[in-house]
Amino acid sequence: MTILTVALKYLQGRMVASTLTAVSIALGVSLVIASVLLARGIKEGFTEGTTDYSLVVGAKGSPMQLVLSVVFRMDVATPNILYTTYRDLQEDPRVDVAVPMALGDAYQGIRYVATNSTYFAAFPWRRKTFSLSVGRFFRDDPPNTPTYEALLGAEAAIRTGLRIGDRFYEGEEMAEYPLTVVGILRPTRSADDRAIFFSLSSFWGMNEVARKMEVKPLTAVLIRPKRMSDVPSLHRELNVSPETQAVLPSGVLLTIFNVMALAEEALTMILTIVGIVVLLYVFVSMYSATMERKREIATMRALGARRAIVLSIVLLESCALAVVGGIAGLLGGHAVAYLGASLLVARGGLVANPFLFGVLQPVVLGSVILLGTLAGLLPAVLAYRTEVAENLAPLS
Amino acid sequence: MSARSAVVVRGVKKSFPLADGMSLEVLDVEHLTLPGGTCTVLRGRSGSGKTTLLNLIAGVAVPTAGTIRVDDTDIFALPEARRDRFRAEHIGYVFQTFNLLSAFSALENVMLAMMFADAVPKRRQRQRAAELLARLGLAARLSHKPPHLSRGEQQRVAIARALANSPPLILADEPCASLDARTAGEVLAAFLAVCRQEEKTLLLVSHDDAALGGADQVVDMVELNRTAAHNGTA
Repeated sequence: MTILTVALKYLQGRMVASTLTAVSIALGVSLVIASVLLARGIKEGFTEGTTDYSLVVGAKGSPMQLVLSVVFRMDVATPNILYTTYRDLQEDPRVDVAVPMALGDAYQGIRYVATNSTYFAAFPWRRKTFSLSVGRFFRDDPPNTPTYEALLGAEAAIRTGLRIGDRFYEGEEMAEYPLTVVGILRPTRSADDRAIFFSLSSFWGMNEVARKMEVKPLTAVLIRPKRMSDVPSLHRELNVSPETQAVLPSGVLLTIFNVMALAEEALTMILTIVGIVVLLYVFVSMYSATMERKREIATMRALGARRAIVLSIVLLESCALAVVGGIAGLLGGHAVAYLGASLLVARGGLVANPFLFGVLQPVVLGSVILLGTLAGLLPAVLAYRTEVAENLAPLS
Repeated sequence: MSARSAVVVRGVKKSFPLADGMSLEVLDVEHLTLPGGTCTVLRGRSGSGKTTLLNLIAGVAVPTAGTIRVDDTDIFALPEARRDRFRAEHIGYVFQTFNLLSAFSALENVMLAMMFADAVPKRRQRQRAAELLARLGLAARLSHKPPHLSRGEQQRVAIARALANSPPLILADEPCASLDARTAGEVLAAFLAVCRQEEKTLLLVSHDDAALGGADQVVDMVELNRTAAHNGTA
């Protein structure tokens, strides 16, 4: 028999209280882990999913709405701008690359994104690359002769179950303009995974209003200037125009992160309070357990147990509770983070891998074990100071 | 029977502080010797200091004055941790209300005492505990926890626990007081038999005639404790 087996026996002896204490630790740890993983996942999701283009040009309105809809596909599309805006920007000597985009309806909740082949092109300055897992890219068909070829993002293909050659449309009114799947992209870890791409010509062909328009509509134009020093002047000029606004995606991302930082601060406060409550619960549990068995502690001392041994037994008990609760909390926290991430992704949110293992897990587990053990320190000291003769007296 | 003295109590006093700054003296023993391998029965009314004397000899209470030697060792000259170890190896204590640990089985209660001393090698502890319990008629109760044992069985477990490290000295504080007469007789007979077989020095607080009959010496606490005599406790 060892000190550890004695401590475990005591925990086993009050199974219900021990289980409740471990569960309370596990819930607290789960909350911390899930919150941190999800917050980090969302932040990384935004960072990974952002565009490599310097400016997003769209109709006047909310810059946040423009970036969220065009880059992250998380908001309703802003009003249209004219195709001529794209033409003008394409001819602007300061512009290196301009990409036209039109956001339309959706198929089974997957957003339609009309653009041209430039959107998928690789450039030296571009981090993001597109590659096909199967099929080919859609053709840049000329206006008025749409081919209605569709390219699916990786997740869009999984969620819709569409395969190469499948024809699809949503709503009876679109039955005349079915899209045909010609390719499926590899995952890009961005909102493009949850999009159905096709040509602008197909978009205009499917849209009754656009069909009648002489100058075709767009939702936005992505801009990459030749020199970064040209960004301010382009930004200013496009914002001075009564029809357009130009937005720096990085600026919007910063705003999102600032809002998230406020939420994280509030969350940190809540988690701190949860942590304190859990520690108090461990303390109360260990304290009452120690008070209840002062007679048994005195008996052990009378049998020859040194004060250090009874101190160690109580500390080992709280440590064991913290280890069990901490490990269960880590597992539970990852499960909650996974469920939360799945829920957010299903609702069109961006979450990077919530299962990233780093310093978080060992730091949280180490802290829980340390703090859990410390919560048992005062009860352990009480056990250490138990007066033997006083507590050996027969119970009345 | 060993000729040397297993316990020598000399000039021992014990007093407790009172709230008004005064102190209450509860024990004043001039001299007491327990010869090795003998059975001494200590008798006296409640409050005469029997349990206090046992606690002092066990080293779980500290005397206000005087010395107590157990196996030629002045136990209060030892630092506390060494005194604890000395107690684990040299003194077995049987309590009036058994004081078994409720979360532990009979076997584990006996093994627990071995954890605090190096008297029995780890690999032999389980076997030794089982043997002791079997000798006391509990071979079929090894895995039972105290709530599932009768009072007589619980006291047998407590006796086995006191003998676990083969200590030369056994202190027993009215070990049969909370048992019915028949069970008390059986338990006491088994206890005395084991102590005799293993040549233990036994200091037994008891009013039982059977215990008095098996005693090598009987000490009356009224005569031994000068404070009790003055206070008229007896």
